[in-house]
Amino acid sequence: MERRAFLASLGTAALASQVPLRAQEGPAAASGRITLLHTNDTHSRIEPFGPGNGAISGLGGVSRRATLVRQLRQQLGSVLLLDAGDTFQGTPYFNRYKGRLDYQLMRMMGYDAGTLGNHDFDNGVGMLVEAMEAMEQLQHANAPFAFLNCNFDCKGAPALQKWIRPYLVKDFPGVRVGITGIGVAFAGLVAPKNHEGITWRDPYESLKPVVKRLREVEKVDLVVVLSHLGYNLNGTGPDDLHLPGQVAGIDAVIGGHSHTFLETPTRVPQAQGETLVFQVGFGGVNLGRLDFAVARGQVRAASGAAMPVLA
Amino acid sequence: MLKPSSALLCALLTLSLAAQAPAGKAQVLPLGPTIPDDPAIQKVIDPLAAEIKASFDLPLVQAPQGLLRGRRGEENLLGYWVADVMRTAAQGTVGKPVRFGITNAGGLRSNLRPGLLKVADIFEMMPFENELVVVELTGAEVIQVVKEGIVRRGGEPCSGVKARVDGSPEQPVFVLTWEDGSAIDPAETVRVATTDYLYGGGDSIPTLRKGRKPFTTGITLRQMLLDQCAALAKAKQELLPPAPGRYTLPVPILEAIRDKKLKL
Repeated sequence: MERRAFLASLGTAALASQVPLRAQEGPAAASGRITLLHTNDTHSRIEPFGPGNGAISGLGGVSRRATLVRQLRQQLGSVLLLDAGDTFQGTPYFNRYKGRLDYQLMRMMGYDAGTLGNHDFDNGVGMLVEAMEAMEQLQHANAPFAFLNCNFDCKGAPALQKWIRPYLVKDFPGVRVGITGIGVAFAGLVAPKNHEGITWRDPYESLKPVVKRLREVEKVDLVVVLSHLGYNLNGTGPDDLHLPGQVAGIDAVIGGHSHTFLETPTRVPQAQGETLVFQVGFGGVNLGRLDFAVARGQVRAASGAAMPVLA
Repeated sequence: MLKPSSALLCALLTLSLAAQAPAGKAQVLPLGPTIPDDPAIQKVIDPLAAEIKASFDLPLVQAPQGLLRGRRGEENLLGYWVADVMRTAAQGTVGKPVRFGITNAGGLRSNLRPGLLKVADIFEMMPFENELVVVELTGAEVIQVVKEGIVRRGGEPCSGVKARVDGSPEQPVFVLTWEDGSAIDPAETVRVATTDYLYGGGDSIPTLRKGRKPFTTGITLRQMLLDQCAALAKAKQELLPPAPGRYTLPVPILEAIRDKKLKL
């Protein structure tokens, strides 16, 4: 990635954060801005990609991502840091530390919420819960982050159930944000013994009541879905691209699973407004950024870009 | 991606807008092509990286040609090697002939690049904790397993069988033999080496779930591969890719598989 392209990615994403609003002049709750920073399919890629990995050689790395997030938080203020699942599996770090390190580093970076991907079940529910517990037990100023999912029925796995929340609401000056999560079907991806006690439900149908509650009861201004369905399955299963047409009222789908490299979010028109569908590759090569300007409960401007995590 | 000219314009525009932001709100984001490490995070990672490096940087064996998964339509020689190692290990474990071995291409997460292999390369290629399982299937079921793999992915990596698809995408003719070209007796019961993941229904090869008398070895595939590399090095041999020729699929058939139009 050249310097100019990097600058362009910052510039494109920043546009929504520069749209003039009356937020600063009017009532506190009337309007505001929020930036969503996000990753997906980081796959235990703690260190940057080494040489011999083609176009992504030298990119990524948790330490640099932490710096980038910190800088953006300092600059923008209203920021959520989110992840779309498949944190686990992919490097020897996972084999050795069983995901505990990944989740602890995510807390250190200040993640607010994440969802679960199929690979997060690779060592079974017990190991997944152990990693969550290790994250919570870490002595750190940042609060533990939330695990969001609304289409896994975890009644048969109570140890996991207590960690999973259907949604999260976060308040920022002038913007109230609701976040939820959905996961891909286990069939053919997760060995039955590794998701014992958890039943997968249709993500579209599972989302509808959650989005309705976020809009009508929680009165959020912005609805964000962390999805591990995959970007486009060409009609063979539920996916991110078709989600906005199936479930109304979603402003952003932050996706994962298909390792799709998008440079900017795909805008999917809705009956009212549009949904931004985004995914930024895998392995922490990019940090995604979505900026929303909200006024009186309506999205006035939205933009986004993938920001390469450069050496 | 924006064109360079518009990229520069966009960057300048952003800087300009940032300069006009309300006083007290804007802070300067150091724009630059490099991002420094976060000291607090790096302090955690450094000792762990050293620990990983110490154990995972250990040299294993020379692989002068590497072992590659092959692109779409090409044979998966890396997968063939894994399936061969599984079959050999299964025979050693159960002490009886194991006629067929099959794994899934999706479980092989990276190529083994040419050169000196290290422990980390095997971990990266096979990160999963999947174990070797030996089951019994009839010859007819072996044929069905291979067909299901072909329809789904153009053939999952296997050992012990050769497969060819003749005919047209609309009327495919599957021709399967044992590796020596002899006919597969549909009624004969044979032992099959596979993984607990596939036997449990992973990657949609449903007939594998019919496997009888499952013998769970407790040996991870990764450990088998590490052991095989160590054995080759000890014998002063190199790791070389197996010969191709296990799947012969003409282009129209491959295109039908890609478009999910090939049916059993």
